[in-house]
Amino acid sequence: MTLSVKIQKALGSFDNDAARSRQSSTSSVEFHRALSHEGFQLDVEFEVPPGFAILFGASGSGKTTTLKSISGIVRPDAGRIGINDEVLFDSERRIDLPIRRRGVGYVFQDLALFPHLTALANVEFGMSHLPHNDRQRRAEAMMEALHIAHTARRKPREISGGEAQRIALARALSCGPRILLLDEPLSAIDEATKLGIISDLKSINRELRLPILYVTHNREEAVALGERVIVVERGRVVARGEPIELFGTPITNSVARLTGVENIFAGSVVSKSERDGTMTVEISDRSGVCRVDVPFGNQARGERVTVAVPAGDILLATEDPRSTSLRNRLHGRISAIEDKVNRTVVSVQAGVVWNSSVTRQAVRELGLSQGGEVWLAFKTHSCYLLDETQ
Amino acid sequence: MGEIDWFPLTLSLRVALIATAFVVIIGVALGWLLARRRFFGRELLDAAVTLPLVLPPTVLGYYLLVLLGRKSLVGHAIEAITGQPLVFTWRGAVVAAGIGALPLVVKTSRTAIAAVDTNLEDAARTLGQTEWRVFWRVTMPLASLGIIAAAMLAFARALGDFGATLMVAGNIPGRTQTAAIAIYDAAQAGRDNYALVLVLILSVVTLFLVYATNKLTVGK
Repeated sequence: MTLSVKIQKALGSFDNDAARSRQSSTSSVEFHRALSHEGFQLDVEFEVPPGFAILFGASGSGKTTTLKSISGIVRPDAGRIGINDEVLFDSERRIDLPIRRRGVGYVFQDLALFPHLTALANVEFGMSHLPHNDRQRRAEAMMEALHIAHTARRKPREISGGEAQRIALARALSCGPRILLLDEPLSAIDEATKLGIISDLKSINRELRLPILYVTHNREEAVALGERVIVVERGRVVARGEPIELFGTPITNSVARLTGVENIFAGSVVSKSERDGTMTVEISDRSGVCRVDVPFGNQARGERVTVAVPAGDILLATEDPRSTSLRNRLHGRISAIEDKVNRTVVSVQAGVVWNSSVTRQAVRELGLSQGGEVWLAFKTHSCYLLDETQ
Repeated sequence: MGEIDWFPLTLSLRVALIATAFVVIIGVALGWLLARRRFFGRELLDAAVTLPLVLPPTVLGYYLLVLLGRKSLVGHAIEAITGQPLVFTWRGAVVAAGIGALPLVVKTSRTAIAAVDTNLEDAARTLGQTEWRVFWRVTMPLASLGIIAAAMLAFARALGDFGATLMVAGNIPGRTQTAAIAIYDAAQAGRDNYALVLVLILSVVTLFLVYATNKLTVGK
């Protein structure tokens, strides 16, 4: 199975915002309304082969509308949506299959579990064409696989957030969808629970081999899940590829910010050496200034530039790493250590504040703690000069 | 005072029950239409079904007479099919009471259905359910409290209908004389005790229904 999508839709004031306004405070509602009044054109094209693909972007970039278009809840202005050779939507041929005939499993952002039914009845809901016994057996098997068999007789309001996620997943999978759409399904639960669900979903999908389109604005999730990432910004695909390459080599400032390259600084070129193939840039942030060597480019001396360094490229050492090939060595003090899903981010004050991402094991073995002295080291080629024009 | 004539009361109950059954089906369908479908003239339709709530009952009765009378097209057709005219029979009273109760059912069920999260309905559709099944398995169960409340209000309203019923069904003792009309008749004729009995019974039943409706909709 391969899902192919090519759609266009004008976005004005939109249901995504309406949905958000139900749950958020007045001020942010105003903010979203203001944003949506501008309006923009959703115009995306991508394919999802079996396996996970991440649709990645900030809130309001058109991700949910894309999912709703694929499932048939929202009708695009133009375009074509298909699974293998079957057309779900084609504006030119005037094909628009109703939602129920699309075979699209959908886990809603708010899960949309039926509050009047038990967990088991929720999971059985989509199998009404089967005899009662088959229905129950299949639902129970799916709940078993997702470790929620014990919730079968409970109503959604008596169930924890993580369990509710799993029930929504079981419900979407049990009616045999051809593709699975997940709309920021893990946004409201803690990280350990999240990792458990992700790994269960991955192991279930090793058999099913469904194309799974997973919407998130969380970089950790994108990296943990992603076989492929599609980055969307204001309704357009701005980048796509493997998470590693995408998050490793930011092209534009917006992609860098979206993909969460933690170190982005404004600076200016202070010297250039064509012979060495490097330039020295003085960068600054609110806490101070420092100088780094970056790859030689066509920027003039004194020209303003933006430098990005992926946090994963910065090496931490407890002694001065003098005898290495690394051109950038900075000495500083740890200002914060923060645990993320599958890594730990160490913030270091060394002129400016740098973020370095390391494993928990490294934090333990080096005995890193807040206030401790460390050296930072990274290659000249880990410094990217961002293209500000895009 | 003599024997109490229970006929008006049993007739009222029968008329109100049948009227409620019809009105709930039509009213919930209209409520769903108004809550869930966008179409030209939607608010005009809402206004039109609200009219019986605010029009003088005699105006309503007049319309019904013109529309359903033996000389009208509709009345003629009904008489041809059922062999009996609608006006000046207890069936006419059902129509009159039903029309009076319709706005309550439409308004209440529109509100109840609009309050059901459309995401839940969309979720049911992604699970392969037809519109009909989405309605019965998701919308209806979640709106059921509001719809039960609507049915009880409709019953209370139908039980007490006077003006429109009088014009459409007349005041034929033992045939079309409902409790509300019998009270008027008894008071006019000075049979105050009989009027009082019916007044008390109607008051208590209606009070209970409105109280129960409030419990269902406000106190949940």
